[in-house]
Amino acid sequence: MEEKKLLIEGRRLDGRSPDQLRPVKLKAGVLKRADGSAYIEQGNNKILVAVYGPQELHPRHLQQPDMAVLRCMYNMAPFSVEERKKPGPDRRSVEISKVVREALESVLFLNLYPRSVIDIYIEVLQADAGTRVAGITAASVALADAGIPIRDLVAGVSVGKVDGILVLDLNAEEDQYGEADMPVAMTGRDKRITLLQMDGHMTREEFRQALQLAMKGCQQLYELQKEALREKYSSTPKEVTG
Amino acid sequence: MRIVHVPNRALVVPGELLAEGDLRAGRGAYKEGQKIFSSVVGLVERGEKEVSVIALEGCYEPRVGDDVVGVIVDSHMYGWIVDINSPYMGDLYAQDLLSKVDVTRVELSSYLKRGDLIFAKIGEVTSLRKVKLQARGAGYGKLKGGRLVEITPVKTPRVIGKRQSMLSMIQSVTGCILKVGQNGRIIIMSEDEKKISAITEALYMIEREAHTSGLTDRVKVFLEKRLKEDGGEKASD
Amino acid sequence: MIEKHRVLSLLKKEPLLRSLQQGKRIDGRTFDQYRPISLERHVIKSAEGSAQVRLGDTTVLVGAKPKKMPPFPDAPDEGGLIVGAELRPLASPTFEPGPPDENAIELARIVDRGLRESKCLDFRELCIEAGKEVWVIYVDIHVLDHSGNLVDAAMLASVAALLDIKGPEDPAWKKDFSLKYKPVSVTIAKLGNCLLADPSLEEEEAMDSRITFCVREDGVISAVQKGGSGYFESEEILRAEEMAFTCAEKLRRLLG
Repeated sequence: MEEKKLLIEGRRLDGRSPDQLRPVKLKAGVLKRADGSAYIEQGNNKILVAVYGPQELHPRHLQQPDMAVLRCMYNMAPFSVEERKKPGPDRRSVEISKVVREALESVLFLNLYPRSVIDIYIEVLQADAGTRVAGITAASVALADAGIPIRDLVAGVSVGKVDGILVLDLNAEEDQYGEADMPVAMTGRDKRITLLQMDGHMTREEFRQALQLAMKGCQQLYELQKEALREKYSSTPKEVTG
Repeated sequence: MRIVHVPNRALVVPGELLAEGDLRAGRGAYKEGQKIFSSVVGLVERGEKEVSVIALEGCYEPRVGDDVVGVIVDSHMYGWIVDINSPYMGDLYAQDLLSKVDVTRVELSSYLKRGDLIFAKIGEVTSLRKVKLQARGAGYGKLKGGRLVEITPVKTPRVIGKRQSMLSMIQSVTGCILKVGQNGRIIIMSEDEKKISAITEALYMIEREAHTSGLTDRVKVFLEKRLKEDGGEKASD
Repeated sequence: MIEKHRVLSLLKKEPLLRSLQQGKRIDGRTFDQYRPISLERHVIKSAEGSAQVRLGDTTVLVGAKPKKMPPFPDAPDEGGLIVGAELRPLASPTFEPGPPDENAIELARIVDRGLRESKCLDFRELCIEAGKEVWVIYVDIHVLDHSGNLVDAAMLASVAALLDIKGPEDPAWKKDFSLKYKPVSVTIAKLGNCLLADPSLEEEEAMDSRITFCVREDGVISAVQKGGSGYFESEEILRAEEMAFTCAEKLRRLLG
């Protein structure tokens, strides 16, 4: 793999400074049939999330008598990446589905809906790195949009390392040619880490700093999540007065 | 000591701090330590001893005493399985619909069959969320005729209104009876297409604007206008 | 079947937590102590490299087999590594027959990242003829007995299997094949406020979440994976990272 300079005079190839997020657009309630939904654009990522449930879980033997089951499916559309991806779950999608589910499970009150299932479908329509964490950011909004009670919103972002510098919110090029990729998801209110992965090359000090940088990015995304949910109810006549 | 951080009827999102101290967390909220947070997107409701959030979205969670509109999906030896627009199915036993019934002698499908609509009360909800329905008594049982409209279940209280204000208004302005199920299903008891269409649009308007004030008056104005017109013009948002 | 196990493990959780509050693990270990480990090398004749790790009662067998294959078009002068894992039904009443499920896939991918990102393998050295033929090493993880912490057992056995590859009787195999680093993984479980290295089966079933660090001997972190549906405070992650480095040194000694 050839060397590629990804930082020029402190600026990244897309003009961002190392601690800057890509432009984000986040909208709640975009699908008619799903119980809850959200759409996110982050850089060139275009990801749509639908939530169904809680609904009765079939087959019966999969039901848990005291709580709801959470299922999550992360899928990339065949046209979402340069090299067409064969439809169907591959090993990467299976692992991502698992860690995303685990990132969201802790904010749900699963005991409120025994014997039922809540399904989260994350569809990556266009991919530009950081899809699993952008999916989590949108999925939290979709869960709230469905009216499913949650403790907190979970937002996620990837931190990477390019030319030895830690950068926030990797894009595809930085992910491919960089030295590390660390997706992190965190609850907005009490900053609990619910997803953390890393692959690459990080010293112990870099790891610590990367975690701090990721948490800052997640906080910014959390503000956007709250806005997206409020926005859904602000465009109708006569605001409520106390 | 108690501090409430948000005004009544404020729009909140999950995780927002609502109050602290000597208060209970009601529906749509949860308490951690001394702090109460919202768990849903909705409007804050401050009570005497508790703070809750009226959700603006959500599935129907069966509660004892609620009236619901159900659809028969299956029958068995002792009764019927009823879809009540919830993650949980309702059970209607023959003796909770008919008096003095001998299930071995009677052909249950002659009373209710798949696809029939019923108006019932939630009699019991177990911890496993088995829901037992009651359909005896005046006003309950099989619904003959009428048009079904479905809205988000959590907005049905708005269709009824404080002290039945919204529902009475609709019924008196249109001259139609509405059977309102807490599960988001409403039956318009009428054959008049013009009235059905007007009421249906009014119901969707309530669903869209449930979180605003002055709604009852706006709906009244809309209905009176629509019923005067000939032919159907769409309601303006 | 699976339902019964969840109920039973919930029952065992209470005494476990009470013991931890008194600073003790139910098997008497300290919080950063591993269970007894044994590493047996060259256990399978039909595999060019193999190792079996017993970590407490957990038993994982790994076979490494190099295969000659055409290279990937985008890396014509590089060999490859393919890691697979199987949670064999004989290893646990909770494992069902069939293709790898999400747990098996996650296990394989964590070990893969730990090996790949540590750069312990130089893929250029595995090239036979650029554009035509390269060595791809298959590392297959076979879990035989699940008693907690499959990741660390699998990682240790995988590195040992690679270290010991006695090349195929093939002149194309580089006699001086070696690993550049000895990566080691350390998995730490969070139970309440306690961080426990090398969770046993009961601890795993009771835990809120776990975190695995794959580290090189020069202090570089090659991979991290948080697992489980709970969460970590950021300060707990940093504490776990410290614990991981202490444990990694001890584990690495087993590799010789």
